Amino acid sequence: MSLVDRDAASSEALLTDLYLDALLAGAVLDATDRGASGDPSDRLDPAARHAADRLRRDLVRVHPSFRFEERLATRLAEAAMAMRVPAAAGAEGRVVPFRTPAYDTDPLVPAEAEDSSPRELTRPLLIGGALTSAALSIAGAALVAWRRGRPSRSGGPMVRAARAARSARISGATPRALSGPRRTSRSPRTRRLD
Amino acid sequence: MPRPVLGRASTPDSVGRATTAGSSGRVAHLDRDRALVEEARRDPLRFDALYRRYLAQVYSYAYHELGDHHEAEDATERTFLAALAGLGRFEERARPADGEGASTFRVWLFQIARNSVSNQRRGRRRHPVAPLEAAALIADPMDVEGGATQRDEAAAAWRAVGRLPADRRQALVLRFVDEMSTAEIAGVLGRSEGAVRVLVHRALRAVARDLGGR
Repeated sequence: MSLVDRDAASSEALLTDLYLDALLAGAVLDATDRGASGDPSDRLDPAARHAADRLRRDLVRVHPSFRFEERLATRLAEAAMAMRVPAAAGAEGRVVPFRTPAYDTDPLVPAEAEDSSPRELTRPLLIGGALTSAALSIAGAALVAWRRGRPSRSGGPMVRAARAARSARISGATPRALSGPRRTSRSPRTRRLD
Repeated sequence: MPRPVLGRASTPDSVGRATTAGSSGRVAHLDRDRALVEEARRDPLRFDALYRRYLAQVYSYAYHELGDHHEAEDATERTFLAALAGLGRFEERARPADGEGASTFRVWLFQIARNSVSNQRRGRRRHPVAPLEAAALIADPMDVEGGATQRDEAAAAWRAVGRLPADRRQALVLRFVDEMSTAEIAGVLGRSEGAVRVLVHRALRAVARDLGGR
């Protein structure tokens, strides 16, 4: 498009804009009443002017149902109350909602910039998760090392029995204490005295 | 129409705010919704006044864009809930050149509405709905014969607008339905005023061709 064509298009667009301003302000007369007014918008393409008149008449503003209006008003009031309560309490914290994909994107974010936002939101979550799991792993390893390195001082019956069996095996004696019914006839104290 | 502050000659600063000449950079707000916005910031329950003022406009825009009553309600609901939640981030940027009725809050609200509608349309591609039946809304129920003609003409106009590319269609709807100025539409669509003028002009010619051809 040449500069002359561009200027012509711009001036036509400006004429259309002026005409629409007047039309929407209710300042445009009907074609029959207009006559030879010398108005610059008279130079506007008659077909475009006719289309503008049609759209002015047919593209009407519609109102939602009263039920919807009141339902949304109630919902907004609830949301406003929820905003008001933390404000009254000091509002140190801030609730960050979870994002759901694609269809439920944030209306405050332009659609074109949509792809960068979820990444920004999920990154702290990933880093936090990695740090937490690393801390748990280190703590677990330290606990196991501590348990292994520490000699058991517990004198539980199973431990004592295992020690007795081991010492009996070493000394070559028959572990009678562990063999069947005889064991029931003797008390632990007696066995220890043997 | 109320005009909150415009006592002295003012010049717009680098961010588009108007600063008064004699008061060391004091900001003079031209936004006609300024008082309501400030009240809503102090007490979120007062957002109701802004909601009542712009409900029909936002709903109409969504209805013309989506062509479905329920989807328009969903988009409207998302718009106002997002606006309430994000009111703290709103900045007034009206300039003296924007005129007396300027409202940057309205522009901001329609930017949210446009994004809500875009998200809704994106989700709808998988579930296409029936074409717009809104032409019946404007016919006079008592005038059966005239109503039918008017309904047919309105339906033709709606179809012609619906066939336009998205940016032209949005510009026309904002211009005719919401009666926005070119500057306001430029704010909503994120374009220059000159670009919006050309957009509306071309859209109008396309509609004229479409209507003239039938």
